Amino acid sequence: MAKVEGGYDIEAVRKEWVGKESAASTGRYPVEYDPIRRHCHMVEDTNPLFLDPQFASETRHGAVIAPPVMVDYFAGNGAWPRVQEAPRMMQMVPTRGDRLINLNQTMEFYKPIKVGDRISSRMRIADVYEKGIRLDPRAVWIVMETLMTNQNDELVAMIRNTLLTHRTPEEVAAEMGA
Amino acid sequence: MVTKASVQQRYWEDVREGDELPGYDLFLSETKVAEQVSGSQDFYAVHHDRDFARAGGHKDIFFNTGFTRAALSRLLTDFAGVDGWVRRLSYEMRKMNRPGDTLRLRGNVTRVYRDSGGAGLVDIDLWVDNDHEGIATPATATVELPARGS
Repeated sequence: MAKVEGGYDIEAVRKEWVGKESAASTGRYPVEYDPIRRHCHMVEDTNPLFLDPQFASETRHGAVIAPPVMVDYFAGNGAWPRVQEAPRMMQMVPTRGDRLINLNQTMEFYKPIKVGDRISSRMRIADVYEKGIRLDPRAVWIVMETLMTNQNDELVAMIRNTLLTHRTPEEVAAEMGA
Repeated sequence: MVTKASVQQRYWEDVREGDELPGYDLFLSETKVAEQVSGSQDFYAVHHDRDFARAGGHKDIFFNTGFTRAALSRLLTDFAGVDGWVRRLSYEMRKMNRPGDTLRLRGNVTRVYRDSGGAGLVDIDLWVDNDHEGIATPATATVELPARGS
């Protein structure tokens, strides 16, 4: 988010940003066996759909699939080598404060992602609104949706994040005293 | 060798509201910290470097969102079986899970119904808890299960 000094007009922010969508970007690598294996290792998951190509070939999927929550992993660039990424849309939405909490996440899964698939994503600002919290009576909330597609441009998943942005107690007190 | 015929499938008709999901526990050892970084590829130091975490005011390092989400997902994909499908997972990161904790992954069926297309759905309340924090991550989910004979 982009903290605004001075006057803040929530209606103007909503008008400019709600519904705005980013360009699509594609993950650096296709869906691969080894990241799936490492993901399963950390939570001791032995599901043969994710780990056993022979088993998976006998299922309706016909191939190893990734645990559904890995979809955003394969839409990204990974940690190395580092790439200079453009600022995310979420970072550009004007807010009152610069303290950020990612409060919750909802993931909807529409299609399995299989080894070899290429996953792309694009972000959309679904909502921006004001709702007070104990720390900040004029906290600004941002709802972000990320749409994930495969190489056939089929929607495979949607991730919705609800982000709370707020000011410091000093900033709130300064406004009250103004 | 695991074959599809050897894996038991859960069917929609056999699930009732109030059923408990088969849960599991995960002990967060020091090795699990390394597995977390390997599996999630999240290298933010607050999840593996004690000095960094404590300098930021935290009691200790804590496990990251990717790890917690993966643990919840495993509970659901185990429940769904080979022919089921996790349609939705929603969760809140409220409290921390730290090395030395044993995580308990648990869940209950809250609703059994069909969607407008006739698919058999199950709504679930699930959570991660530990002895120090209680429920650290509450969640809800919807899983599609196959019907017998489908």
